[in-house]
Amino acid sequence: MNERIIGKNLVKVDARAKVTGRALYPDDLYFAEMLYVKVKRAVHPHAILRKLEISRAQQLPGVVKIITAADYPELNNFGLIIKDQPVLVGIGEKMRYLGDALAIVVAESKEAAGQALAQIRVEVEELEVIDDPRRAMEEQAPLLHPDGNILCRHQLNKGELERGLAAADLIIEQEYKTNRVEQLPLQPEAGVCVYDQETGVLKLWVATQWLHDTQADIAQALGIPPERVRIIQPVIGGAFGKREDISVHIHLALAALATRRPVKLTYTREESMITQSKRHPMIIRAKSGATRDGYLTAWQVEIIGDTGAYASSGPAVVHKGLYHCTGPYNVENVRGIAYTVYTNNTYSGAMRGFGATQLAFAYESQIDILAHRLRIDPARFRYQNAYRPGSSTPNGQVLTDSVNVRETIKEAVQMSNWPGGVEL
Amino acid sequence: MQIRLTVNGEERVVETTATTRLLDLLRTDLKLTGTKEGCGKGECGACTVLLNGQLVASCLLLAPQADRAEIITIEGIGSAEGLDPIQESYLEAGAVQCGFCTPGMILASKKLLEENPRPTVEEIRRGLSGNLCRCTGYHKIIAAVRLSAQKMADKGEGKDE
Amino acid sequence: MKKRGRGIATIMFGFGYGEGFPDHSIAAIEIKEQGPILVKTAAADVGQGVLTVLTQIAAEVLRVAPDRIVLSAGDTALTKNAGSTSATRQTYFTGSAVQKAAEGVLALLYHYGSLALHCNHPELVVKDGRVYRYDRPDHFMSYQELARLAHEKGELLQAEASFFPRTDAPDPETGQGERVYVAYTFMTQIAEVEVDTATGLVEVLRFDTALDLGKALNPQAVEGQIEGGTVMGMGMALMEEQVIKAGITLNPDLTGYLIPTALDCPPFYSRLVENKDAAGPFGAKGIGEPVTIGATPALANAIYAAIGIRFFELPITPDKIIKALRQEQGTNG
Repeated sequence: MNERIIGKNLVKVDARAKVTGRALYPDDLYFAEMLYVKVKRAVHPHAILRKLEISRAQQLPGVVKIITAADYPELNNFGLIIKDQPVLVGIGEKMRYLGDALAIVVAESKEAAGQALAQIRVEVEELEVIDDPRRAMEEQAPLLHPDGNILCRHQLNKGELERGLAAADLIIEQEYKTNRVEQLPLQPEAGVCVYDQETGVLKLWVATQWLHDTQADIAQALGIPPERVRIIQPVIGGAFGKREDISVHIHLALAALATRRPVKLTYTREESMITQSKRHPMIIRAKSGATRDGYLTAWQVEIIGDTGAYASSGPAVVHKGLYHCTGPYNVENVRGIAYTVYTNNTYSGAMRGFGATQLAFAYESQIDILAHRLRIDPARFRYQNAYRPGSSTPNGQVLTDSVNVRETIKEAVQMSNWPGGVEL
Repeated sequence: MQIRLTVNGEERVVETTATTRLLDLLRTDLKLTGTKEGCGKGECGACTVLLNGQLVASCLLLAPQADRAEIITIEGIGSAEGLDPIQESYLEAGAVQCGFCTPGMILASKKLLEENPRPTVEEIRRGLSGNLCRCTGYHKIIAAVRLSAQKMADKGEGKDE
Repeated sequence: MKKRGRGIATIMFGFGYGEGFPDHSIAAIEIKEQGPILVKTAAADVGQGVLTVLTQIAAEVLRVAPDRIVLSAGDTALTKNAGSTSATRQTYFTGSAVQKAAEGVLALLYHYGSLALHCNHPELVVKDGRVYRYDRPDHFMSYQELARLAHEKGELLQAEASFFPRTDAPDPETGQGERVYVAYTFMTQIAEVEVDTATGLVEVLRFDTALDLGKALNPQAVEGQIEGGTVMGMGMALMEEQVIKAGITLNPDLTGYLIPTALDCPPFYSRLVENKDAAGPFGAKGIGEPVTIGATPALANAIYAAIGIRFFELPITPDKIIKALRQEQGTNG
């Protein structure tokens, strides 16, 4: 094929606007009569809200409106997969992490909104804070959500694990712990909303990784048809999974509805880190068996993923890790179980690699340990176990095309001047 | 209170307060939104501007501190007719992804090349170390600065003229 | 003392939502009587460059220069569902939808061209924004003129297409399924590090990467993904952790939460392993996530190669390295 443009280094179509400072990100938009929004967050990671006193804050100069759950009793929870996250915590309801919203302040300036936040008085009944997923899984642990602290459980069962372990000359078992990583896109969450009173449409200039899904979630939370929410995508300052979830969106919509004026909400970096999703910290127990001549026979994993206070992408992330538990290596006998568990930590969600990143640390460490223990060059060990056409994944999916993993090992070894110059 | 400053070569008189940050004066009052806020604490470099020729974090300065100062923001780099060689190099090297760090990064690059027209890779890394980027891994940004140095040297020798 | 070591990691990533989820993207392309060719998609460009790649795909199929293509900004009122910019899916899914829509428009150019120029399809040449009979290149019609012709007939020179591949929900008891993900991307990375045994600091000296990606639609953008993803993985391996104790974040800023800076960035050497046997546009597979996965284990394995100690908890910070070295000295001495 003679492709003229495919395969060429076309300069990014949006790069010129970015190097000149003309690209408009959400916080760069200004409208006449625009108001500024700030959100009063939870004061305790796990507590029942008993009292919310806003009258003093309401009287401060520049404060236009303070919205609480009492103003919108018909609001629905939101969430990417499971709708378990409240737009605003009401009296008698639970805050489950420090990012939960208690009140929305709308003011003439950022400063006025900030001063009002400090004047809102909150009384809570404190509950036990669960920051360890293993504690959350104990029978007598207090429940964070009505259906229990184990949000979901996924299983893998391929071949016969016991037979695979019996065939192994070497079995290693190890526990791995991965870290809570912040995606840290450089642009903090921000957005602008304008309520068009004639059409009844809420126009939002906000970042999202999925316009139509975000539109649907905002609309169902507010109890209006999706067509009444219009999302216009400004330039996005990075995402890495962090912009999958709702952030400023619904609070902006409520502020615009309540004041009928353009409104802007921009998170501080601290607010972004405490309120929005993280990479799931995982506890991974892996057991792997191989023959003396260096072929894998069995693989077993148990995964506990800390999904924090709300589900977000958690029900999809942790088992995606499970499904990648052996990496790109042929193993006939695989067994695994993955638990996605609620805690009072900042919720975990999507981040680049989506569970497969955490599992790679475990399987590539296991592989390296096996290779060294068997005194086989680690690159050779990988090469001889790696998938080829006809191999099957832990899910039993047979790979038929585009399976060039062995070529990547060969190429990388050759480029890097790998010690010993292993022949592949 | 009123302050007087030169921004991108243009003299401006602005009504402001003693507690307004220079960053907000630029973004909100002058609508120069190319200067970004990434942290508000001087940690990320997205709000970098040149003040009297020095790199500063505009989120850490108050507007009155810029009284009678000369400020260059990203909007002052290049011209209506064309891009600055640094901007061109960022495009050609593929150094731009989300672009949120880019304005600050370009100003840091400019300062670096003014002081050291032929920097080594190590010197470039040090010169840009106050500006965080989460997308590119810095490799192509460093390449862009090297390319800029080359372009500016070629221009200086009249090769492009 | 400074000790060097090399570590290798080979990884896989099944991309797209998979698992039977209704994963699809809808795109449309329209040629109007005036102005550029408009590609309508809601695919979010978060900096990775999907809009650039879609421009290249549309330009390639429609045989025009890329500057003839304009992408609509994402807007729920003007574009249909493209699915998310996640799961490493936009190049593969929206790229395929745009390719199919462009093929639809290309077919219409032949259709209206053959009507206008009174000839059959094989006699037509369609390229560079012009349609003409092969032996009369001067007697051409522009794509825009054909759009006018279509409008006169009450029709649009527009095509909408979707890409909606099947995947299977795995069995809930066993996780087994015939086609759980649309395809897999593979990568091998080798990291070289130098560990300072006095300070515990790890300097990353270089990264060699071989990425199985089917086809690189824009090689420079692919390298940018490899470099950015790898440095993000370096952060996970060596320094990043949001510390939450009793529900409270102890380091909610960039002084307490460190990410790699330009000082940490190693030299990169990358090879793009092309085979073009994938089902994506022009044989491409997705790469956005896999490129961040290899760095962490490659570095952990490199640290082991350098100092003979394995770490099982991330991040592998200097204090953990020092502590482990001291412990080892204690047991050896």
